Amino acid sequence: MYPEQIVKVLINESFHSRWLVVGMFVIMNVVVLTAGLLWPKSYTGSTSIVVDEKSIMEPLMKGAAVATETQDRNRNAREVILGRSIMGKVVERAGLADHPTASEQEGLFEKIKARTTVIPVGRDVIKIEYRDSDQNRALFVTKAFADLFLEEMIAQKESDTRAAFDFIDKQAQEYQQKLTAAEEELRQLRSSNLDARPGSEIELSARLIALNTRIENTTMELREAEMKYASLERQVNGEAEVSVLATREAQFRARIAELQAKLDTLRLTFLDTHPDIVQLKHQIQDLRAEAVAQRERRDSAKPSDRVEGDETVVNNPVYQQLRRELSQSRLTIDTLKARIAEARRLVQEEVNRGKGLHGGEARLVELTRDYQINREIYQDLLHRRERARVSINMDSDRQSASFKILDPATATLSPSTPRFWQFVLGGLMLGVLVPLGFLFTRLQFDPRVRLANSISERHKVQVAATVPHLWSPVELTGLRKELAILALVVTATLALSATLSVVRFLGIL
Amino acid sequence: MSKIEKALKRAGEERGNLQVVAPAAPEGRTAPWTALVGQQVERPETISRMAENEHKLLSAEELWVRGIIHPQQTKEPAVQVFRELRTKISQQSQGQNAVILVAAVSGGNGASFIARNLAAAFAFDSAKTALLVDCNLRNPSVHELIPDTSLPGLADYFENPEIAVSKIIHPVGIARLRAIATGRLRENPAEYFVSTKMRRLIDSLRERFRERFIILDGPPMSDIADARILSELSDYVLVVARHGRATNAQIENGLSAISSSKLLGIVFNDEPRIPWLR
Repeated sequence: MYPEQIVKVLINESFHSRWLVVGMFVIMNVVVLTAGLLWPKSYTGSTSIVVDEKSIMEPLMKGAAVATETQDRNRNAREVILGRSIMGKVVERAGLADHPTASEQEGLFEKIKARTTVIPVGRDVIKIEYRDSDQNRALFVTKAFADLFLEEMIAQKESDTRAAFDFIDKQAQEYQQKLTAAEEELRQLRSSNLDARPGSEIELSARLIALNTRIENTTMELREAEMKYASLERQVNGEAEVSVLATREAQFRARIAELQAKLDTLRLTFLDTHPDIVQLKHQIQDLRAEAVAQRERRDSAKPSDRVEGDETVVNNPVYQQLRRELSQSRLTIDTLKARIAEARRLVQEEVNRGKGLHGGEARLVELTRDYQINREIYQDLLHRRERARVSINMDSDRQSASFKILDPATATLSPSTPRFWQFVLGGLMLGVLVPLGFLFTRLQFDPRVRLANSISERHKVQVAATVPHLWSPVELTGLRKELAILALVVTATLALSATLSVVRFLGIL
Repeated sequence: MSKIEKALKRAGEERGNLQVVAPAAPEGRTAPWTALVGQQVERPETISRMAENEHKLLSAEELWVRGIIHPQQTKEPAVQVFRELRTKISQQSQGQNAVILVAAVSGGNGASFIARNLAAAFAFDSAKTALLVDCNLRNPSVHELIPDTSLPGLADYFENPEIAVSKIIHPVGIARLRAIATGRLRENPAEYFVSTKMRRLIDSLRERFRERFIILDGPPMSDIADARILSELSDYVLVVARHGRATNAQIENGLSAISSSKLLGIVFNDEPRIPWLR
């Protein structure tokens, strides 16, 4: 169906069911007007509060510790506002009930909760709205909500700040103790290990190097002395204790050698037959014979030791000399050995001392490191503690801008419920729309045929004629009367609406 | 107003009281009543004789009170609708007279209203006559139009073989319109329509006056047996469905009872319209 067809059909149907339509119009108007009269007035109080609910721990502990995540701001605010403590105080302050019983109070809380809305406006602002039939009460309750919420939040923040301060203070004290303990330990270590001071190790190693050098040098000297001693010993063994035999034989040999030299020189000039040479040969021969005889004599005389001592028993001076040197050399060897032993003992001593020095120094480094770290943390904590102290002072002076009322509590001057004229208008509109809607629905769903079009569409049969009602004169007269009555009823309904509107406007009802 | 009527009216105004009728047919049924405008022909005997028999005619107001249209009610939309319906049937029958059954899908749909007004609409035309036959034996209404209710009707015709057809046709105070009421009914009139007498009656009525359109005010289609027999006897069938009364199921049911070749269509009756908004 086209829209104009629908309009035409609805007009005709309305005319056909005129009593029904007018009846529904009247009923709708009466119902809505009654609702408008009985509708409770409602005023809305509202206020906005800036909430910066960052934990105080967060800025104070920034960089030093990781803060826990902050809770959902709005949910938190709503929980605080609609919590029992604030609600109880609101009831008390706004004078909503005098000494209510527990169940009454519970009911009252539920009522207030139902009428209160906490709306987040932007990031850090929340809006509290409260509806009430009484304008003043709406204002009072909203104001009480704002004040109490603010007090609660500031108190909470103060306690947060205090808790943060206490925590930092406790930490600072702990670190102070640690620092003191570390200092004490250092002092003890220093007093117990006097050597334990910076540079001791270098000194020690220098000394060890010197001692080792000395040991090496002395060892070399010892080697030399020992070699010398061995050589002297060998010499002493080779040398005769007495030098006489050796002297006579040597004399012969020296004489032989001298004569031989002389012989050789003569042989250069003369023949062997030269008398000088022959003489010389004889002399040499004699001397050799003598020398052999001497030797034999000496060898035979040996067991009896000084058989012919009286002849040449003289101490051999070389031997004596060697003996002296030998003795001297032994002395030197002993001295050197003693020196080496001493040096080694010293080295051992130094090594032992060095061991102690190492342990002490490691402990010292550790203690120093702990001490330094503790000192840094302690100093940091001292700074933070001072900042927390300032925060506390700020909180106590209400200098902190985290919480404040942005928009003071106000209540709407006129009720926020629909105005009476809106009810009147609504009644008129519903009075027209509901019957029309009913008629339209009936057209769609009633099995009885109301449209010629629907017959031809549904039964595939042409509609030969659409005969309108033939109004007889009597019927027309009756219809005129009917319409007059209906017009009267509609006028009366409109008059009722108008009258009630005026009465309501003048504040009589 | 149909073309024929317009032509008649104009002809009357221009050339005096000339009647435009069809030329007499050479044999059997008459030729269509489609005379040329201005063609001067003789007034048919039947109509002239009928005019002599007319009793006192009812005025437009009197008809209006009885719920019957009158050609003078030119502002009445129903008059226009019935004229159009009549013209449509006329065209369908190609000018020949016809037997038209008007039956409602159920009781209370206003078939009698449609039947008598359709008959009245046929009678508007001075070249045609109409006969309204009350076939709604259970709930008759045509007798209301006949001043003397004691006059014999359809039942008397069936019961008494001596009664001639002409005796049961009565004037109703409307020019060129006659009616046959049900008459005095027996207890069980159901067998009237199945009898050959009924068929003979219809045939004789049709044949007797060739310009006459016979409108049968039939029983509701819910009475399927009667409706079916009558539809077989008729040339055309009009099914009446009333606004806010007939259901789709009833229409479906009614349509199933008649052959689609005879069905002229559905007459949607009593459509609500505000009388002063035309």
